[in-house]
Amino acid sequence: MSQADQISLPAESGGAAPGQPAAPAPVAARRGGDTLYFALRNKKLVGGLIVVLALLVLGVVGPLVHTNSPTEYLGTPGQSPGGEWLMGTTMFGQDVLAQFLHGLRSTFLVGALGGGLAAIVGMAVGFVAGYRGGLVDEVLNMLTNILLVIPTLAVLIIIAAYLKVRGVMVEALFIGFTSWPWAARAVRSQTLTLASRDFVDLARLSGVPTWKIITRDIAPNMSSYLFMTFILLFGGAVLAAATLDFIGLGPTDGMSLGLMLNNAVRWSALQLGLWWWFVPPGLGITAVVGALYVMNVGLDEVFNPRLREM
Amino acid sequence: MRNRSRLMILLAAATMVAAGCTGGGGTTPPQSAPPSGAASAPAAAANGQFPRNETLYTSGTQYGPPANWNPIREWDFATGTKGLCYETLFLYDTQKGEFTPWLAESGSWTGDKEYTLKLRQGVTWSDGKPLVADDVVYTFELGKMETIPYHPLWEFLEKVEAVDPATVKFTFKEANYQQFANHLYSRAIVPKHVWDGRSEKEVLDGLNEKPVGTGPYAYHSHDQDRMVWVKRDGWWATKALNLDVKPKYIVDIVNGSNEVALGLLLQNGLDLSNNFLPGIANLVNGNFGIKTYYSKPPYMLSANTAWLVPNTTRKPMDDPEFRKALAHSIDLKTIVEKVYGNLVLPASPTGLLPQWDKFVDKSVVSSQGFTYDEAKAKKLLADAGYRDRDGDGLVENKDGSKIELELAVPNGWTDWMESIRVISASAKKAGINVEPVFPEYPKLVSDRSSGDFDLMINNERQLSNTPWLYYDYLFRLPVQKQQNTVNFGRYENERAWELTQDLDRTKVEDVEGMAKITSELQKIHLDEMPVIPLWYNGLWSQTTSTAWKNWPSAEGSAPKNPPTLWRNWIELGGIYTLTNLQPAQG
Amino acid sequence: MRQYFGRKLLIYALTFFAAVTINWMIPRFMPGDPIQGLVARAQVADPASVDAMNAHYRNLFGLDVPVWEQYMNFWGALLRGDLGLSIWAFPTPVSDLIVRAIPYTLALLIPAILLSWWAGNRFGAFAARRKWLDNTILPVGYILTATPYMWLALLLAWSLAIVAGIFPVSHAYSFSLTPSWSPEFLGSLLAHWVLPFASLFLVMFGGWAIGMRNLIIYELEADYSNYLLALGARGKLVRDYAFRNAVLPQITGLALQLGTIVAGALVTEIVFSYPGIGYLILQAINSQDFFLLQGVFLFIVLGVLIANFIIDAVYTLVDPRTRVRLQGAGA
Repeated sequence: MSQADQISLPAESGGAAPGQPAAPAPVAARRGGDTLYFALRNKKLVGGLIVVLALLVLGVVGPLVHTNSPTEYLGTPGQSPGGEWLMGTTMFGQDVLAQFLHGLRSTFLVGALGGGLAAIVGMAVGFVAGYRGGLVDEVLNMLTNILLVIPTLAVLIIIAAYLKVRGVMVEALFIGFTSWPWAARAVRSQTLTLASRDFVDLARLSGVPTWKIITRDIAPNMSSYLFMTFILLFGGAVLAAATLDFIGLGPTDGMSLGLMLNNAVRWSALQLGLWWWFVPPGLGITAVVGALYVMNVGLDEVFNPRLREM
Repeated sequence: MRNRSRLMILLAAATMVAAGCTGGGGTTPPQSAPPSGAASAPAAAANGQFPRNETLYTSGTQYGPPANWNPIREWDFATGTKGLCYETLFLYDTQKGEFTPWLAESGSWTGDKEYTLKLRQGVTWSDGKPLVADDVVYTFELGKMETIPYHPLWEFLEKVEAVDPATVKFTFKEANYQQFANHLYSRAIVPKHVWDGRSEKEVLDGLNEKPVGTGPYAYHSHDQDRMVWVKRDGWWATKALNLDVKPKYIVDIVNGSNEVALGLLLQNGLDLSNNFLPGIANLVNGNFGIKTYYSKPPYMLSANTAWLVPNTTRKPMDDPEFRKALAHSIDLKTIVEKVYGNLVLPASPTGLLPQWDKFVDKSVVSSQGFTYDEAKAKKLLADAGYRDRDGDGLVENKDGSKIELELAVPNGWTDWMESIRVISASAKKAGINVEPVFPEYPKLVSDRSSGDFDLMINNERQLSNTPWLYYDYLFRLPVQKQQNTVNFGRYENERAWELTQDLDRTKVEDVEGMAKITSELQKIHLDEMPVIPLWYNGLWSQTTSTAWKNWPSAEGSAPKNPPTLWRNWIELGGIYTLTNLQPAQG
Repeated sequence: MRQYFGRKLLIYALTFFAAVTINWMIPRFMPGDPIQGLVARAQVADPASVDAMNAHYRNLFGLDVPVWEQYMNFWGALLRGDLGLSIWAFPTPVSDLIVRAIPYTLALLIPAILLSWWAGNRFGAFAARRKWLDNTILPVGYILTATPYMWLALLLAWSLAIVAGIFPVSHAYSFSLTPSWSPEFLGSLLAHWVLPFASLFLVMFGGWAIGMRNLIIYELEADYSNYLLALGARGKLVRDYAFRNAVLPQITGLALQLGTIVAGALVTEIVFSYPGIGYLILQAINSQDFFLLQGVFLFIVLGVLIANFIIDAVYTLVDPRTRVRLQGAGA
């Protein structure tokens, strides 16, 4: 049992591209002010944050200011951007800008809900497995390993294909419940190292209940790591949702960036040269996810002084 | 490290080549003839094994890979199985409303319940054997098997006999002239000497891999995404009717998605696209070399009617006044102009296709017809006792309960999905709460069979020789536990069904007699509104003229046949589209 | 060694069992009836014919026996390689369709994965701690890795195929050809392969380059690197050590990314109508062909399991630490 884990442990804490956060450094001893100082100085973090926040504001406030319906036929079909229609119109004369703003909103919604849910499940499983050990760990670890290997998107496709009505919420729910395994595994291995620390032992000896040790002693000590995990799960959920929407298994009502891509392709936007219909949604997704990733590197550098640029 | 990486590239390259080759080679046997022409990089434009000037590229008929060549499977055989390979006794010209003898030389009613058919002489199967009366008898007798789609024919057909090798006699229990006329040009005749002894399972589910037909083309090859037919020598019509098909090869491209077809069309990789291509109007009007039957709206001939079917067993759809109000509340103009970009025509209030104009009673339509009229819809509702009692802008049932209706179309049918969103919006303006829903297709099918729906859209009846098929669709009785193809709304009207049966028993030539009955039926239809006609779906067809010219068109002396290879349309004149084609060069 | 692989195999076996069971369960608990859809397409009105056809297909698809028996039959058929008949391409067996599609998918996936992994690692390692390169590679890498596969595919299809006309837009080979070993055919195959391959390669490349760059920086900051440098070792030597250590997590990363990569290949195939597994999925969804959809799902799971196992084996071979430990355990 422990053998396999020792083999994979150093591996997973490595930064294997977008799916994995880089190895966390223990940050227990650092003062908050210090972190903030470096955080504000970090160009990657600040830049990424600005982009994400700007898009978030667009998605939240945009539809309130620009009140056109994303689905109604408002203008002349196939108008290029400029003039009355800032981002042009679709084949049916729908307002691309309105679609984009609503799409951004649901992108953030799916990311936050799906990523959040995955983070909660992943952390719960990871903490319990790592801290309790024994049979609990064995079972949870087995479950995690099984789910880790099953290609999530294939499962999502199967489930979504059978659903009659699909909403953004349901989509986020499914994404959340299927994308937690790697987070659980990473959290578990972090917990394993922390669980053997003196202060945890001390707490345990003085009879503090498990959930309290986890929430009071273990989680705060890896909070930066947890936050970075959440960010990656967020980005992953956004991409997964976009993929589902693009295949045609997206929300049956409402608007999303993936759905815009799907519609644009179905209605021959490429062949007809309506680039303003399929370029912005992809750009939106890329900007959100890319900015999140860059932010994550920035955070990593802030929490891990050795990585700072010299 | 460096060596290892080089090895990796080699490995990668090798897998790619090997995979690509087995991928292709595994599906179709390699051709013996050496291909000619230059490398074929940009799509289908270059010359390959099928020289461009001898090949007709088509698309828009086949939605799955060619999987069988069984003419009995009229719903999923490979494009051209019926029409190019197997043929029918007659053709039916939808424009002129005439039957053209095809494999038959002539046919006539020789008694009250007896029809005698003379076969054309000199027709041979592709294996060299002559077509004989026994083949026709065998084909029709296949319908005695319960799972064969034309089994219902035997409800009124008593027997089929070969009088001599060139004569077939049909004896009927009941002379349903209209229905039988439809069978005469719909049934593909199969060779008894090849098919004899096949079990019911083989007849229904058999692949029929080496089709032996009488038609101008023979099987060449197929792959997941294409079906290739090759012209065969000795097609009977060349001698008998002086008709010849010019393309040596027909490559029918499986319809993965419509945008791919549009891309191929723009690159001149397609000669005939029977896809529904939204936005095609822009390209027809622009300088892209793409033509449609009409150069102006609606661009296409009409192929079938899309109907709004209310479930008449549910409240409030059981009330004709409510159904009429609903009919008046539908903003058809937005659907035609915005959703379809004028590619479709709004339907006549009778729902009969333009080709059946002679069966429409104009006086009935002008007095009882309907159009989009919000005020009228509101008035009809108010007069019938549907009022808005809680002030939400939507009317309630007569007993005060809320009206919440679901209008269903299959998920993924994008133009219909857009259309019912429009219907929902305009119905709500008139005060009727209609919500669009998009169940998956099989779910919708099972719901509509068992009558578990409020409202839905359906267009399954195509243009044909007789409006009887439409009235059969509207009024057929009795209502069964499962309604699979007709009268989904479960509307019961004995008088209408009697009239429909009378229509069936009217001779095909008796247009006046038919019109008299259809006029009665139209009165009932518009009075009761069991089904609401919406628009006419087009006979989607886009053509280019780089390789082939003389396509059907409304203009000048161009041929007037349906420009399509859609299944069951080749015998509606699609074959003439092929015989009229001319190479664009030389 | 045996214990280690034994355990891995057990996990894979359990995974497969779970996948098959999920696969079997889902359609039986969902609304709608595929058989009814099949019969409806035949457009038969006569109730007797409908009943006969219903019974015929129910029997054909094995839906006319008790549920537990269906489950056992499902396994039995599966072990015989029988995934049922496709509705979309009736009556072609699902396994036939999949076998025909696999080569196309593998032809995209294998070169794209291997080449992007190799090139990404090289580039990432080279760029790390080289100011100018780092500042260019890093942003490009982040943009690429954040790009949804289908969007990059759409951009390539639009710019290089539709607007510029350099490459074909769709399908695997020209419609004017039938498969053979001729140069034209191979050329056509290659021309149609370039764009889908490129879109997969680019997105993955970004991910690997960034991953490697970050790992190298970790390694260069590790105590052993500083120690080596302090001892006067050349920078190149230290970098080589760092690279070797960083490759290991990248191998594990590959295993973890497989699911996402496969998903990327699926949508890329859809964009280019490339006749692989992804294209089958789209058609299965559009025509409600659940037999096909489930066959494809099982196949993907199986493929990912096999790939994982191969990666495990490679990892064990490459990593000196596990080698030693495994030998120790075996003794």
